[in-house]
Amino acid sequence: LKAIIFPDSAESSSLAGKYNYDRWLVSRFLEYVPDVHDFLDKMEKPPTQYIRANTIKIEPDELKIRLESKGFSLKETLLPEVLAVQKAPMSIGATTDYMLGHYYIQDLSSCLAVDALDVKEKQTVIDIAAAPGGKTTFMAQRMKDTGCIVAIEPNERRARAMSFNLARCGVSNTCILQLDGTKADKLGMKFDRVLLDAPCSCEGVIAKDVTRKTSHTPTDVEVCSDRQQRMIESAAKLVKPGGLLVYSTCSFAPEENEVIVDWLLRKFDNIVIEPLDYGTNGLTRFNDMVFSDDLKNTRRLYPHIHDTTGFFIARLRMGVT
Amino acid sequence: MKYRMPTRQEKTLLNRALDKWGVFEYFKEKLLMIGHEDDGSAKICIVSPESRAASSKLEPYFLGLVIGDLKKQFAPSLPGADLFARVGKSNEYYITVDENAEKLVLYGRDVMGNSILQCSDTIDENELVIILNSRNESIGVGRTRFAGSSLLQKGKITVTTLADAGQYLRDEG
Repeated sequence: LKAIIFPDSAESSSLAGKYNYDRWLVSRFLEYVPDVHDFLDKMEKPPTQYIRANTIKIEPDELKIRLESKGFSLKETLLPEVLAVQKAPMSIGATTDYMLGHYYIQDLSSCLAVDALDVKEKQTVIDIAAAPGGKTTFMAQRMKDTGCIVAIEPNERRARAMSFNLARCGVSNTCILQLDGTKADKLGMKFDRVLLDAPCSCEGVIAKDVTRKTSHTPTDVEVCSDRQQRMIESAAKLVKPGGLLVYSTCSFAPEENEVIVDWLLRKFDNIVIEPLDYGTNGLTRFNDMVFSDDLKNTRRLYPHIHDTTGFFIARLRMGVT
Repeated sequence: MKYRMPTRQEKTLLNRALDKWGVFEYFKEKLLMIGHEDDGSAKICIVSPESRAASSKLEPYFLGLVIGDLKKQFAPSLPGADLFARVGKSNEYYITVDENAEKLVLYGRDVMGNSILQCSDTIDENELVIILNSRNESIGVGRTRFAGSSLLQKGKITVTTLADAGQYLRDEG
């Protein structure tokens, strides 16, 4: 799939110049990001930092008290485990509580993807492209460290780093496999829950890495989209009938989000996109493409609207008869 | 790592060790497996029954949580010490240090006698101990340089820190 490029306009040229983006990217943002001026302004500011209490070791209230006694100011969010850091007298990654695995630094959007997966105790779950393990550890605590999470990561160094994160968080219900996510369907197992937080072009985290304003290319979108299509096909085959597949990315590009989910709906029967309570509706059309109307049930999270990194989440109930 | 169930002899050794650390009751219902590193060293891993079932069909790179190493005797790992402190009954093999020493231990420094708030009169020299902060949370694993109340000697290092939770942060860097 070729990434769609829109012609430059006076507005896209002006905004690209003002905020130092490549013009092709701003032209695209004008097509699928609401309130682009506010969005570009927001991307100039450091993103809100979030921490997620590790309930295997500590309750969120207790963690809040401890960190506030050290001068941190924290605010509740949509999820009971997740706190927004409003004031930090030191790096949030340098406290004793962090070292003891009492919390994980993780954006609210990533936590919402795990929340959408609705994991339960004693289930079998697979996390495809799992490193560095943030979502895996959140799933583990929601499962009360029971059942099994198969966490897949092809790169050995990243798989090892993930094992350290799991150890720090005291997680014991995991099985790390060194495997390419596109080949996950060859495992010969079915799972109650499948999380595919797909490698993406990271348009949603430009505020954290401003080099992406100009280093990001249409080819990135095309390469990612191609891989995402292969990964979601593999992921879909892993879900038990009636089970859930959550597909997420930290990109805004429709080619990496709605296009992928729409392709899956056409490829497989009996998939229902379940609605979620946060974010804004997914797109049902892009350029001359018209997607299934059910795509409105997918969710988009925008930094300037939801105060998270940019994110896309689709919750798919598989094998519904 | 390659994983297998412990032999009867290893089970006996492990049960003794878990009793020593005050966590025998907790581990009665838990599944422990042995993982062998390429160098042949044996890691004791707590594994859920579902993970064990999955691992029999897969080739895990890493399975469960390593709670310690098994050589001639069992030595708790950092995650093991953390788990023992959370679920076990503190006994002579646990020492508690003050807030200042907590910070130093988390930098990998040894423990001075005057910073120990609590230790057992009956602990021997050269014993492994879990180092707790004043909230009874494990911050590291150490080895005693003295026995009993001599651990409280002022101005002397009395416990060598072997591993500390600050490692997680140092390893990230």
